[in-house]
Amino acid sequence: MIWVETLLNGLMLGGLYALFGLGLSLIFGVMKIANIAHGELAIGGAFLAFTVVGVVPVPLVILLPVIAVLMFGLGYALQSAMINRVLGDDPIPPLLLTFGLSILLQNLLVELYGANSRSLDPGSFGVAGIDLGGLSVGLLPLMTLLITITLFVALQWMLSRTSFGRTIRATSDDPEIVAMMGVDRRHIFALVMGLSALLAAVAGMLLATRTSITPFSGAERLLIAFEVIVIGGLGSIWASLLGGLVLGVVHAIGFRLDPASGLLYGHILLLIILLVRPEGLAGKRRTR
Amino acid sequence: MLEVSALDAFYGDFHALFDVSFALNPGETLAVVGANGAGKSSLLGAICGLVTTRGEVRLNGKNLTNLSTPARAKAGIALSPEGRRMFTSLSVRENLLMGARVGRKGPWDLSSVGALFPILEEFADRPAGLLSGGQQQMVAIGRALMANPVVLLLDEVSLGLAPVIAEEVHAALAKLRGTSEMMTLIVEQDVRRALGGSDHYLCLLEGRDVMNGLSNAVDFDALSRAYFGESAA
Repeated sequence: MIWVETLLNGLMLGGLYALFGLGLSLIFGVMKIANIAHGELAIGGAFLAFTVVGVVPVPLVILLPVIAVLMFGLGYALQSAMINRVLGDDPIPPLLLTFGLSILLQNLLVELYGANSRSLDPGSFGVAGIDLGGLSVGLLPLMTLLITITLFVALQWMLSRTSFGRTIRATSDDPEIVAMMGVDRRHIFALVMGLSALLAAVAGMLLATRTSITPFSGAERLLIAFEVIVIGGLGSIWASLLGGLVLGVVHAIGFRLDPASGLLYGHILLLIILLVRPEGLAGKRRTR
Repeated sequence: MLEVSALDAFYGDFHALFDVSFALNPGETLAVVGANGAGKSSLLGAICGLVTTRGEVRLNGKNLTNLSTPARAKAGIALSPEGRRMFTSLSVRENLLMGARVGRKGPWDLSSVGALFPILEEFADRPAGLLSGGQQQMVAIGRALMANPVVLLLDEVSLGLAPVIAEEVHAALAKLRGTSEMMTLIVEQDVRRALGGSDHYLCLLEGRDVMNGLSNAVDFDALSRAYFGESAA
């Protein structure tokens, strides 16, 4: 029974991991760049939430979408004002720029909020649980998993069924030729960065409801996000979900076996995947 | 009317096109011929704004020179690019719908493109990347037509296609000629076929216009010399 519970906990933790990976994977898929500031966008979203609840104590159900929309705007602005300017054939400038942004955002958070750890109070259901045939499952992790799956389904629907999603995929395939379809790729890139920041911020806020975070927590989140997309693979959003869930389960099992192991088992899994199946569990093998 | 005057094109420091001028009336087709690297694709790219240019491109009196590529597309310039440039993760139908994204009204939609290239209707749900070269060429032309263009630019229509497929594509293009006010520029390796399917021709050599005229009055010997850069005998 204890292993079933471990598995469930791992899946719920993995949902959150998947959400961290999803935004990073989206950026990589469309712009072919790694956004090193992804972790700071997630943590920044949570800190923005701390500020808002400090002024107006609104429940989580309102806070989440409000912050998500604000972070979409921030992502859009970052892309159009800065990252679009350095995009080109050379992948190094955007890498350096987002690395710089990551340090800048981290220090900005320390300056504004101090280095103390904080968490988001999820209200009474933070400690509530339900009984599933002898298993006790926390409502909060369950809600986290539900939000994650909803976001994945919504994103998949948007990408595969809407005209906007089709344009995103086309831009990913050939960013030059979409211009002949009247598409300004810089605008599409900015919208995608907005989406990525939105997803990161939701993940950051959900993280802050289950554990306390500091302005320095971004780096670890970025590492998790990278592991998710390496384990799952690139090329589809389901690969990110799979990667997140697998990583979550491995972390939960590792914790059960050896509470002092931290993220060690996740890193070992990453190493094995890189050696055995470098394209990821659900990734497409590169043919070019 | 499409008016191109004193057009130059550059790729970074490389000067690819020198002082090319021509004018095309509604409904007319211009064949652009020349050896590999003569600047044919650069000419089309310059009209689309895909490469750095100097000179002027006017469409029905409107100066396009300072417009971005998306703005030129919305003004009615459509391109079937060299190498076909499919959106490989999109289905055939989705590729065609991308062409319609400029939002121009006109006779071309999924059903009229499907009537021109029936195979595209049959394979509508297949990923475009899995089609044969000839089928991809049809998608590329269909995608450009979906924009209901005023000017249709066709680059390397039969490059790499089996002769029978190239024949099929050209038969479809022949149907387009004279049926509308659309102006067409066609870049084609097969010079005789290009001239047979056009009103005017323009021969480029090392980025310069070395010979032009009416397609039905061409002197093939002179054109051959211009094409290969031999001085006139």
